[in-house]
Amino acid sequence: MFEQVFFSGLALGSIYGLVALGFAVIFKATDVFNFAQGMFVVCGAYFAVTAMSILQLPFPLAIVFIVGAAALLGVLIHMVLIQPLSGRPMLSVIMLTIALSISLRSIIEMVFGPQGRSLTTPLPTGVLMLGSVRISYLHLTAALVSWVCMAGFGLFFKFTSVGLLMRASADNHEAAVVSGVNVNTMNRLAWGIGSTLAAVGGLFLGQLQIASTELEGIGLLALPAVVIGGMQSIPGAIVGGLLVGIIEQMASTYISPKSSDIVIYVLLLLILMVRPWGLFGQRELGRV
Amino acid sequence: MTDSTHTPVRKIRAHLLLLVAALCSLGAWAQDAPQDGVYKDRIDWGLLMDMSGPTSASQGIWVNGFRDYMRKINEAGGIHGRKINVLAEDNRFNPATDKIAFEKLVSQTPVIAISGMGSSVSQVALAPTIKAGKVPIVGTYTATKALSEPVTPMVYNGFCGYKQMAQAGVGYHVDKLKLKAPKVVTLAIETAGGKEYHDYVAEAVTKFGGVATHLTVKVTAVDMTPQILEIMKLNPDFITVYGVSNTAILTMKGLAQYGLKIPTFGITYLGAPQMFQSMGGEAAANYKFISCFTPGGADQTPGNKALSQFADTIGRSEMKQDINYVAGWITAQMAAEALGRLGKNPTRARLIESLSKGFKVDTKGLAAPFSYSPTNNSGPVVFKLFGYDFAVNKFKAFGDFADYEKYTR
Repeated sequence: MFEQVFFSGLALGSIYGLVALGFAVIFKATDVFNFAQGMFVVCGAYFAVTAMSILQLPFPLAIVFIVGAAALLGVLIHMVLIQPLSGRPMLSVIMLTIALSISLRSIIEMVFGPQGRSLTTPLPTGVLMLGSVRISYLHLTAALVSWVCMAGFGLFFKFTSVGLLMRASADNHEAAVVSGVNVNTMNRLAWGIGSTLAAVGGLFLGQLQIASTELEGIGLLALPAVVIGGMQSIPGAIVGGLLVGIIEQMASTYISPKSSDIVIYVLLLLILMVRPWGLFGQRELGRV
Repeated sequence: MTDSTHTPVRKIRAHLLLLVAALCSLGAWAQDAPQDGVYKDRIDWGLLMDMSGPTSASQGIWVNGFRDYMRKINEAGGIHGRKINVLAEDNRFNPATDKIAFEKLVSQTPVIAISGMGSSVSQVALAPTIKAGKVPIVGTYTATKALSEPVTPMVYNGFCGYKQMAQAGVGYHVDKLKLKAPKVVTLAIETAGGKEYHDYVAEAVTKFGGVATHLTVKVTAVDMTPQILEIMKLNPDFITVYGVSNTAILTMKGLAQYGLKIPTFGITYLGAPQMFQSMGGEAAANYKFISCFTPGGADQTPGNKALSQFADTIGRSEMKQDINYVAGWITAQMAAEALGRLGKNPTRARLIESLSKGFKVDTKGLAAPFSYSPTNNSGPVVFKLFGYDFAVNKFKAFGDFADYEKYTR
């Protein structure tokens, strides 16, 4: 039983890690605590419904559609809403992301109706047996894709010139501007990547269950993941996601389903009290 | 006597005759009662439901069903020459908003009666006001003890009750599987409603000498591995599910993942076509839902045909399959028939008096016939199970309502 629960936690945690990574990218680049990240997950699920069920695109083309639409959404949100507020108090920006979340939910319900939509893709179903452990192919695919995305993003961030510029902008905004980096473009790219990573999570969550605005609640589990891992740490967001997934499953199995919320958020509180920069984040030292 | 003497008398007699004729014809005209929502050309009927909040996915559809039935009535000329004007207030599933909306329908834009009341918390809060007030509630979306007990002429339940869902579902499976001491699992979200439903299931199972175990799951659960592993340990004869769409979808997908073919039935609210489609054919093969209403298009009874035909003409071909739509439709039928019995001069007081004497509702096959009496306001009490036929993308019934009567009557 332990192995079964552990593996299912790992699979789930991979999706959380993906969404948390998107959150961390946005935060690291623009210092914005994005409360709309959960709705980006929902948007991903509904982009998938649009591509597969409404437009009936072939699956490879549907993926291009989903990624393109999600990236465009992130870029537009930054250009139209976030960029004009740069330099304003953080509270204003946070309120904006909350308002954005509520607005996106209402728009989706107006366009698609309040009922959930079933999402059928050619992604494999069925079960793989590894000894006594049963893993659904869909969970396995979700985990593998999440890891490929995370690894791909890591390589992009580390080894490409654009990735280098993004890191420079995130590390020191003013120095990047002085060096001639188009910081606004880098920030838009960060939002595009962040929303795309969330949308990929939404694609899998929508097929694991049903595409509905209730997926937002699941997407918001990325927040404790990113705080536990470290708000400014890309690896931390991934590890935080995995931890949240495993803790959720373990607590549900060995204590009770409701206890998983308690355990996750108690851990969050402990981290904030003892190591507020997270497990993998770096302490910020200021010189007076 | 000369003509000049007779003329004034004749004039007075003529005027008197005219006055009497005018008074008689006035009595034959329909009378307005604006304070009761009754006007020369229309009657206002109120709805209190969640149309944009967390439960709008189901309650919004119920409102559509209600409105569409009234539209059908209005297109045929209304009731005794008056159109039914549906005033739907959106409570966003918020008791405070519900109270404001209720008061609005009582006095500000008065209605002759109200239907719906989809929030159990609001029902409990408003119960004393409703029972002591002047506006009857005809066809509630959910039933609470606070509003339903003791029986009052002010309240008439209009949806499937949890107790009867449990009784019919358990009874059917015990008979079908020929069980002696059934082992049952109730898989429910962690709410008061889930606990209440499990208690009804346990009561029903105990009557057959069996035992029911309560397993809980989070509303926002993404995976059911812990619950499925527990089910494997318990090895139940069948399972019943209470919760939201995801609860049923994840349960059935989880059971299929572990190769478990345990018969499972969900409550009435867990019967949307999208849910079955999300489960997929293999996982849904062992899933049914229990309902006192028949989904639109599921059979060819006169009531179902009438609903389906009208729904198809107004672009509701998909929505008609939703039980909530059918429930709203039937509640509107109740409302329309109640108004029809009042004749040309409906008022709230006359409506309450008429309802309190008891009445029958024949939906011509959409539900089993049900009735209300001065001592019984339960509404529909006969249920049956439905599954989904993926070959034709329609619901299919397991038996007739008459086959299930023994479980709940």
